[in-house]
Amino acid sequence: MDVTTNVLHTLDEVLSLKGRALTFDRASPLLGAIPELDSMAVVSLITTLEERFGIVVDDDDIDGSTFATVGSLVDFVAGKVGG
Amino acid sequence: MEALHLDIAPGRRYAVVHEPGEPPRALVVHVHAFADEMNKARRMVALQARALAAEGVAVLVPDLLGCGDSDGDFGDATWDAWRSDVVNACALARQMASERWPSRQGLPLSLWGLRAGCLLIADVMQHVGPLASLVFWQPALDGKQVLQQFLRLQSVGMLLGRGPRDAAKEAPVPARKQLAMGQHVEVAGYRLHPALAAGLESARLLPQPTQTAVYPIEAPPAQVHWLEISNQPQPEPNPAARAAQDAWRAAGHIMRHRRVPGPAFWQTTEIEEAPALIGATLGAIGRAGA
Repeated sequence: MDVTTNVLHTLDEVLSLKGRALTFDRASPLLGAIPELDSMAVVSLITTLEERFGIVVDDDDIDGSTFATVGSLVDFVAGKVGG
Repeated sequence: MEALHLDIAPGRRYAVVHEPGEPPRALVVHVHAFADEMNKARRMVALQARALAAEGVAVLVPDLLGCGDSDGDFGDATWDAWRSDVVNACALARQMASERWPSRQGLPLSLWGLRAGCLLIADVMQHVGPLASLVFWQPALDGKQVLQQFLRLQSVGMLLGRGPRDAAKEAPVPARKQLAMGQHVEVAGYRLHPALAAGLESARLLPQPTQTAVYPIEAPPAQVHWLEISNQPQPEPNPAARAAQDAWRAAGHIMRHRRVPGPAFWQTTEIEEAPALIGATLGAIGRAGA
């Protein structure tokens, strides 16, 4: 499963979106556009992404822009997996 | 099913007992997850406890100090207090069982933990007498990670809560710094004791060294059932988890690792269920009996 699909599945699951996230693409806005994505959900999302991808997210890594769109989030995760 | 208030110094602990309709063939004590993960998982824990009772297993589900309906505030809780709670819960479970069902002495006891609860189990297992099995639901490998994920609530909250006007304000002291100075911190409505943070941070999901004095031939090391829950069609293997599992095997435990499909119900925004996990846990404890 590629990173984008995996991230979308994780997003859908953590936010209980019932399949809505699976229709998103890179341009789809996240923070501010999805009411379910509040600060607690962001934390749950980061935690789940850490566990699913085996990455570690430091406090310094987290930036509002990371969660701006699906694309920015996928790039962030892919960068962590690669590095 | 009944709700009890157990007298465990200091204060009382709220606990739910799920009893089978007839004398049980096994006992289980649940050790819950940390903070919000505990709250989100309540339904699954209740469903599992009921399912176990239906299969002849008596289950004790205590709320640790400062959690749920137990005495104390969350801010009073320390890692050592929670360790004591688990040890006391096990002793009480055995005692209650021998009083309620005198015809069934020496019922096998198992510990069932969720996430950071598994860290507590690993930390106290040497002090609770012979254990038939340990059931780990999505175990946290490292308390440091659990603490990091918890403290993240503050940093993300600050990140998302700060608008352009806030940039001029002085940033509040980071939680870690406060804890290091021996102060409580307030994170997402939870007051965290520095001793809880410290204890959690140093907890690892590794077996206590087996002492032949503690484990006579008739009571071998507990079987460990490591259950992961994931909806990923092809989950990637986790090397850190594999290393921990090998450590348990090296210490003489039979280690059974299984991945079942289901949502991360301790994390999801809405309360979710994982029916496959119920069945797998019954297989680990219920049907085997011990």
